[in-house]
Amino acid sequence: MKGLVVACAALLAASGIARADGDAARGEQRFAECAPCHALTRDVESIGPSLYGLFGRKAGTSPDFRYSPAFKRSGVTWNAQSLDKYLADPQAFIPGNRMPFAGITDATARTDLIAYLAKTFK
Amino acid sequence: MVTRLKEVDVVVVGFGWTGGILSKELAEAGLKVVALERGAMRSTEKDYSLPNIRDELRYVVRHDLMQNTARDTMTVRNNPAQEALPMRRLGSFLPGEVVGGSAVHWSGHTWRWTDMEFKVRSHYEERYGKNFIPADMTIQDWGISYDELEPYYDRFEYTAAVSGKAGNIKGRIQPGGNPFEAPRARDYALPPLTPILSSELFARAARERGYHPFPRPSANASQAYTNPDGSKFGACQYCGYCQRFGCEANAKGSPHITVIPLALKSPNFELRTHSWVTKVLKEADGKRVTGVAYTNILNGEEFEQPAGLVVLCAYAINNVHLMLLSGIGQPYDPVAQTGVVGKNYCYQTGVTATLFFEGRNFNPFINAGGSNATIDDFNINWAFDRGPHNFVGGYNVSGGFNTVLPIGYRPVPSGTPQWGKAWKAATAKWYQAAMQISASGSVMANRYNCFDLDPTYRNAFGQPLMRMTFDYQDNEHKMGRHAAQTVNDIAKSMSPTRLNEATARTQPWTVVPYQSTHNTGGTIMGTNPRASVVNKYLQTWERHNLFLVGANVFPHNASYNPTGPVGALAYWTVDAIKRYVKNPAPLVSA
Repeated sequence: MKGLVVACAALLAASGIARADGDAARGEQRFAECAPCHALTRDVESIGPSLYGLFGRKAGTSPDFRYSPAFKRSGVTWNAQSLDKYLADPQAFIPGNRMPFAGITDATARTDLIAYLAKTFK
Repeated sequence: MVTRLKEVDVVVVGFGWTGGILSKELAEAGLKVVALERGAMRSTEKDYSLPNIRDELRYVVRHDLMQNTARDTMTVRNNPAQEALPMRRLGSFLPGEVVGGSAVHWSGHTWRWTDMEFKVRSHYEERYGKNFIPADMTIQDWGISYDELEPYYDRFEYTAAVSGKAGNIKGRIQPGGNPFEAPRARDYALPPLTPILSSELFARAARERGYHPFPRPSANASQAYTNPDGSKFGACQYCGYCQRFGCEANAKGSPHITVIPLALKSPNFELRTHSWVTKVLKEADGKRVTGVAYTNILNGEEFEQPAGLVVLCAYAINNVHLMLLSGIGQPYDPVAQTGVVGKNYCYQTGVTATLFFEGRNFNPFINAGGSNATIDDFNINWAFDRGPHNFVGGYNVSGGFNTVLPIGYRPVPSGTPQWGKAWKAATAKWYQAAMQISASGSVMANRYNCFDLDPTYRNAFGQPLMRMTFDYQDNEHKMGRHAAQTVNDIAKSMSPTRLNEATARTQPWTVVPYQSTHNTGGTIMGTNPRASVVNKYLQTWERHNLFLVGANVFPHNASYNPTGPVGALAYWTVDAIKRYVKNPAPLVSA
């Protein structure tokens, strides 16, 4: 079972990279907006959950973070497509979630950011 | 039984902006520091996030982040002829009681007070003659200059993520900024916040009348930011919950996300929450203090914390109270005009007009602490001649929104019934269509506005409550009338459908409703030990190892919010204390 999860994660991560045609360097700069609340390292929960191993993870499952019920029952799995939708308008994609962030309207900026995350967790 | 603890180098009383700055800097400099805070530990992660936020009942009505008046409050009166009565519920001002202090629930307005304040008496006497200042107006020069404080303002602004537009960099006037401000070495840490419709309309109207609008500088990060200490800020989301709330976006400059976590990381530092300091302990030599006495308010246990250095960093009023309770310095007597502790308490004044524009949608719930445009033409503009108007001081005028509470904010035109069908119809019609223009004015010191210990009422620890004697004087009434006229002129030029005009506040001051948390004075700074409690380094004249940090050292109150100079003076005092520990003696000879 565990092997299967890892395999799925790898597959989804691969699909994330395939779509991530953005500029990871620009995305890294963009990540400054996320960094006050989200760590990229494992098990570092701050205001928001750690993004470690994001691709392929089900939303609301980082073990030590207190998620909103909306997040836990969202059924979302993180990949480039779902991240793009979420980042465009977090409240529209997962209504009732508690991330205090209005979203990124610029599609290129989202693609860059996702490319950076994909590169980080390759 | 009182437990006597092991001596430390420094004990810091109160853990907000000033306590956080002093603790971090002194612990990092190698001193053993203990901070004592009455309130509880709170963090953005656990407390200032959903579902614990955006709750008007909890934070606005029940004052969740504020001082508990059942434990300690103050008595108030307008003049010495009255009997003071206890303020049993917070109203006019809201001192914080939590790790982070009032800087958790502030809006973030961060101003640089200038020599206009620091040299107030000499400036007015030079221009208008000695007789211009009324005999009972006890204003004095502060003993410090803007130039001395400039690098410390800069330090605080960059620590707190202040967003704004410079108006004067090294003497060069910058378009779009405040042309009246004193020269700064460089621009603000971040560009100004995005203006909102109401602030844009106000700015346009003000400009058309020849005034000089600029975006209000505020510690609301306009974009993601890492400060010089490495503390990370998120970008402001314009959620509208600044004043009285902790910031969920980690975008408001507050000590609990900056200096406090860094102090807590230092092995030289220890924080004790729920610790209520009842007294500063004195050395018999009359020249030093030896530490503080405090009570753990969870279990009633009493402690003595000996320390080589004591720094009072509580809310301004509480610093003064602790000095009076400890019997340090001579208490001020307003009748005989002797003594200094309790002298020159000052508040602020203001007027507001509400403008109604039929059909407009202002979206008042979208705003930040500093999303107002402001003019200083009647404030730090020395070209504005006070002579014909015969008042000392000034006022700034701003338009826009700052924390418009979704439940509490119900603008309706004058004459609307206060309840029932007509009120409901009016509130539905005008909620989106109203905006406000406000003036905030200075209050000059007066011999009768002061603090002392109440002869009758006591707090939960059996100690006398602080007694506040305060009222606005003729000087403030004159300024209020001038401010109301300016606000109404601008408002009328915008042709609103309806206008609730601004009127000068000339009734006696009362503790309701909320007015301003900017209380100043009581242990003022100066150049003369007979006329001040602390020297320019905030070191007490009487006991050289006792420092008082906060707005309690301001000899009068300006129109501006006080946190800019409070933060700058905290960093200034850090440097003074670093010098002091090498040679423990008075830093200024009396």
